[in-house]
Order: sequence, then C-alpha cells, then structure tokens
Amino acid sequence: MQYLAYILRQTARNLRLAWGTQLMTLLTVTLSVLIFAFFFLIYTNMMKAGERLGDDVRIIVYLDDEIVPQMRPQIERKIREFSEVEKIVFISRQNAFEKLGKQLAEEKDVLNDLGPYFLPPSIEIYPLKTLKNLTHINQFSEYLQTLPGVSKVQYGREWLKRFGYFTSLLRLVVLLSGGLLIMSMTFIVSYTIRLTVVSRHEELEILRLLGASSAYIRMPLLLEGLLQGLLGSTLGLGALFILYQWICRRFSGPGLLHLFDFTFFAPEIIAAILFAGILLCTAGSLFSIRRFIRI
Amino acid sequence: MHTSTADNKPLIELVKVSKVYPPDVLALEDVSLQVLRGEILFLTGMSGAGKTTLLKLICSIETPTKGLIEVAGRDLSKIKPAGIQLMRQKIGVAYQDFKLINKLTVMQNIAMAMEVTYKSKGEIKKRIMELLDTLKLTDKVNKPAGELSRGEQQRVALARAAANSPTLLLADEPTGNLDPAATDLVVKLFKQLNESGSTIVIATHDEKIYEETDYRVMDLHYGHISTHTGKNKPRQIDLFESHRA
Repeated sequence: MQYLAYILRQTARNLRLAWGTQLMTLLTVTLSVLIFAFFFLIYTNMMKAGERLGDDVRIIVYLDDEIVPQMRPQIERKIREFSEVEKIVFISRQNAFEKLGKQLAEEKDVLNDLGPYFLPPSIEIYPLKTLKNLTHINQFSEYLQTLPGVSKVQYGREWLKRFGYFTSLLRLVVLLSGGLLIMSMTFIVSYTIRLTVVSRHEELEILRLLGASSAYIRMPLLLEGLLQGLLGSTLGLGALFILYQWICRRFSGPGLLHLFDFTFFAPEIIAAILFAGILLCTAGSLFSIRRFIRI
Repeated sequence: MHTSTADNKPLIELVKVSKVYPPDVLALEDVSLQVLRGEILFLTGMSGAGKTTLLKLICSIETPTKGLIEVAGRDLSKIKPAGIQLMRQKIGVAYQDFKLINKLTVMQNIAMAMEVTYKSKGEIKKRIMELLDTLKLTDKVNKPAGELSRGEQQRVALARAAANSPTLLLADEPTGNLDPAATDLVVKLFKQLNESGSTIVIATHDEKIYEETDYRVMDLHYGHISTHTGKNKPRQIDLFESHRA
C-alpha cells in the first residue's frame, strides 16, 4: 500500500515539476493519435462504402445480334467457365427498349420515332463478391470480350479504377500516419522520460545510495509514460469524435456522407487504438529507463 | 542481555582488501579489519589515507580491487544488485559532501531514506521530528536544504543516515563543519543509536570526539592500518532482538 502511494505521489510530482514538457508531450501524442485515427476513420468508411457499391457492380456485355433461347445455356456455360457468377440476365432489344422507356418515364415519347430495334441486345452479369476485386473484374471483362458476337463490354472501368487508386492512396496515408504515430509516441515519450531522468539525476543517485529498489525508482517513470499514452490517446480520440460529429452535422442530409453511411469506430477499434497508444508510450518510457538508469 | 555465538561474529570483516583507482592510485592495501556488532569504531588518518574509500567499500559503493569484504556474514561480491539495495536500507551513511537535495526541504530530504523502506507517513513524520529535536533543528523542518548553513546541512545528513535506526551507521567526517555545541549533539545521537543496537564506524579528523572515549580507534596511513588503539572491548548486543523489539 505504501509502495503504491509512493509510486502515485512520485508520478504526480514528476508530472507537476516538468509540466511544460509534459504538456508538449501530451499535445504531440494527442495530435499523432488524432491524425492517424482521422485517416483510419476515412479509410474504414471508404472500405465500407466500397463494399456497398460493390454490391451493385455488374458487367454489361453488348452483343451484335439477338441470342436465340436455345443458345443461352451454351453462352452461360462459357461465361461460368471463367468464373462462377451470381446471376446472368439476357436482355433482348425489346427488353432494352422497354427498360429505357421506364427510365425515361414521362419523357418516353422521345422513343416513339426510334422503334425497339435501335438498342443492342445485351447480357447483364452480376459477379460473385469474391470477384469484385478490380483486377479480377478486368480479367473477366477481357475474357468476355473474346466471346463470339460480343461488340462491347462495360462495367464502369474508369470509376472502379479511380476508386481503387483512391483507396490505395488512402491506405498509404493510413500507413504513413501510423508510422508517424509509432515514431512520435515512442520518441517523444522516450525523450520526455529522458529529460525527467536527467533533471532528477541527483535525486535518483541518492535514492540508489539509500537502498531504493529498482522498481521503486523505475515504476513512477514507467507510469508517467503509461499515463501519457492513456491521456493522449483518449484526448486524440475525443477530438476526433467531436470532429466526426461536426462533419455529420455539417454534411447531413442527402449527399456524399449519406451515400457512404459515415460511421465512427466500433468500440473494439477504439479500445485497440487506446491500447496501442498506451503500449507505444510505455515502450518509449521503458526504452529511456533501460538506457539511462543503471541500477 | 542476550548473547549468543552469532553475536560474537563480526558485523564487518575485511580480509586483505586493496583498492586501486585508475590508473594506479593506491587507496588501500591489504587492509584486514573486524568490526563487532554493537561496536563504535573510529577511523582516523590524514586526508587521502583511505578512510572514505574504506567506508565506500563497506556500503558497496565501491568494489575492492582485491580481497574479501563480508557484512553480516555475507560476501559483498556475491550479493546481487537487488540484495545490495536491500542491504543499503539497513546501513545509514552520512556522506562527507552530505548528498542532500537542495531544493527539497529538510523533512523531504530525511523522509527519502524512510520512504524507500515503505514506512508510513505518520511513522516518518514522528521519527524525523524526534531526530530534529535531538539535533536542535526542529525550526528548520520546512526549510529547503540549500538554504541551510554547512553545519546545519551536516546535521540533516546525519539525521537522514540515522532515520531508519540502521544496523550499521557509517559517518564520514560527521563533525567537520560543526561548532562544539553541535558536535555534542551529534555525539549524543551516536550514543543513542549505539545503545539501541547500531554498530557505528566514524571516519574523522576530529580528535575531540574520540580522545575521551574508550572506543577502538584505527589509524590509517597511506592505505595501511598503522596503529590500532582502544581499551574498550566491544559490547555484545543482540542487535536483531533490539530491532525486533
């Protein structure tokens, strides 16, 4: 009990004596967590949005001529030879014309002079979720292009490509900010503990001569790092939550966020970020203790 | 008074101990010495004779270049760092340069020695006030150590060394900065501690504190024991019984 009381008292004293440095460290840890968590939040939401949009991905194969019903099983077999798909829908010229008419609704009169044969027949292919990866879809579309009677294959290639580039870029930013988080947390906390050790050098030396145990000297410094991690991560995540709520309020209603279903981290992700923050700061503290205290 | 075979064993034993500081400064050479439990021993000799080195070897701040040192029957070279720290809790050392932290108060400086042994706050405060009363420093309790005179700082250093009622007290020039009145207070404290069971080794130039006593006096000269005087046979005290009590 006396031991615990001493550890807590000494930790509070360390924090109080060098409050300026401690505050700067806390600010750095908070900002690092905020930057990393912000990009990670965007990334996770983009991935979720990608999954949602992926549900609507379909490949449209435009044909030169109408396919007679007897040919359909053969074509289906050829398609499935490359990859299992969720669904294959054959659209005749007539079906395409009716569909367009429905889409134009009140303005379908514009089709009156054209007649049902100006639209090409097509096959709509709904790929399995496992195939919704950009590279696979690309290969699949190239295969479909080789089938006889196919004039064009369309699947929103450009859009998917851009989305893929964007998520790759975001992944890189998350990795970089994660690296920044690791470096800033361990280095800055390690540096702060080093400053504490240097400023208390005389006292630590006397404690050693008085017979203080290793744990007695080291624990307050370790706790200092742990508290920096806990407080910094909590403040960083708190700041992100406030930012998240502001974004939700500012961009509420129909729009991009509505489409993306912008959500905050799940409790387990919050716990993982807190844990990582504590772990990194404690590791930084431990590094300085092992390096600069010889008892 | 309880005596046993264990009581007759020396608390400190040095066998042919030498200490050479780099590159080749010989501080002690083949020093052999026994200090019994409950004894007061004076180490005398001119500056550079090796008194401070001897005290540092006993409390394991320095390690000998050669020879064996045993404290309470244990070979210091074989004790692990954690064991050395535990041992230091039972040895009070009053350093020649005091080793006080100037920005901390007198109370905080002395409390450090007791906090490392996990004493309660109440116990620490009570003991500190007792010691300061003995050394006539009660009015300085909340003053930063850096604002005290050298003589006052020396007494604070002694109070810290005595705080845990140590099994062994090592004092390096404990009266070097004191006037006769303050010296008497320090001698009184040593006697109190010795009566309650502490073994005391005092390195000093100050003849006044030992010339009228029967305690053993050992004179060091250029790292060797040159004379060994003293009529007093060390008292036999069951140190651990008195500490348990």
